[in-house]
Amino acid sequence: MSNHSDRAYGLMVLCPLKSETGLDQSPEAFLRDFLNDLPQHELSPMAAVPNTYLCRFFVLNDLVYQGKPAALEHLKSKYLAFVAEIHAPEESDVDEYLRLMWKLAGGGGFVPKAWQYCLGFESVTNADQFVEYMRRCQIQTTLYFNGSTDEPLAEQLKALYLKQEFTRFAYEHQGLPPAALQDAFRAFAARVRPSAATPTWRPGASSLATAVIE
Amino acid sequence: MSNIAGKAYAMNLVTPLTELTADFNKVVFFGLKIPLFKDKLKGLLTLSMIHYARWSIVRPSEFPRVSAAQPVEELNYNYMFFFSNFNGSWAQYVDSFSAAIPDGLNSLWHDNIGWPKAVPQQPFHRYVNDNQLWTNHYYSAYPMAASNDVKAAKQVKEELREFIEDTLQDEPDQFSRKYHALLKRLQDSLSCMAETPIVSLAHQAVVEQCRVDEGIV
Repeated sequence: MSNHSDRAYGLMVLCPLKSETGLDQSPEAFLRDFLNDLPQHELSPMAAVPNTYLCRFFVLNDLVYQGKPAALEHLKSKYLAFVAEIHAPEESDVDEYLRLMWKLAGGGGFVPKAWQYCLGFESVTNADQFVEYMRRCQIQTTLYFNGSTDEPLAEQLKALYLKQEFTRFAYEHQGLPPAALQDAFRAFAARVRPSAATPTWRPGASSLATAVIE
Repeated sequence: MSNIAGKAYAMNLVTPLTELTADFNKVVFFGLKIPLFKDKLKGLLTLSMIHYARWSIVRPSEFPRVSAAQPVEELNYNYMFFFSNFNGSWAQYVDSFSAAIPDGLNSLWHDNIGWPKAVPQQPFHRYVNDNQLWTNHYYSAYPMAASNDVKAAKQVKEELREFIEDTLQDEPDQFSRKYHALLKRLQDSLSCMAETPIVSLAHQAVVEQCRVDEGIV
């Protein structure tokens, strides 16, 4: 098992769906509609959950038949798959991540809505129970590859902000005499504050016009 | 439904393998984590468009069961779940894998049922296409950034912080020399990010339309 790649963590859960809702659509149809209609990028409910690098939701409906001579087989349950790449140096950080997901995703209302079609979730009413439920449904990673960095998300976003701003600065201040260059750089450093938390990029920012948090 | 979040593409592949193959492949995967064999993963590092990727081999008994009311999964095969977050189009990614690390792919998917080998590309494409599951909601914390941007940004941040400390007391001439040395060191890492180009979108639109036409979605 290797859910970790240094401080990055690969979280995967498969939560079985109820077999019926008593309504005119199956649970997986309701769930798929709900997930498909979620707003994207900075408006995604997951943008509010700290240390989410990337994550995805999909409905695992069944298995793919490989053709003869392979055996034809089907799943007996359908599953909500949640797969996330997060910053979590220790296992305890994963529990904390899930607590914050319960509390913050979509302003706090997202998790109960998304998981309402899952079997056994009716008894989940608080963050600790959500952690317990998710841990029960967790699938261990066999091999994890990190082709990026394992820094806290806030550091990654600050770095992206600095890269963008410093690239512009370098482009706009070519050929200046030393004293003018030094003055301009000091003003730049005072503005972007490389060691401070802000200014930085907003999680999920999809447009340069609205990306910066001052 | 979207496999795309800005510059990132989410791929989900689920493929069957026998229990014997699963046990063997788990040993291979474990070996790849040992420093002696870690070089085998270096091919993946050359594919710098990958943010994160992972493989999970799941036995039938490991499918989560949360209540007695839930039927037990009775499956002949184990299943390997592969998840990747990458930049670029589906075709660019799949072709890059096939061209750069065909032996690595053949090891990672060793003896999966129906695995056609990474080369030639046409059967390989078909295998990936047939076994790919589509994502219903995909989120990236930095949709305007490629994986290379995230890595480059880390270097820019660290160098900038060090440079500011190092030049606090410098006279303008000395500052200027160090500044231009900084630019030289960072020349591979400086570039502006933006909303475009998102090369996957055009391809995605075509694939989605094909799936609609075929009645798949």
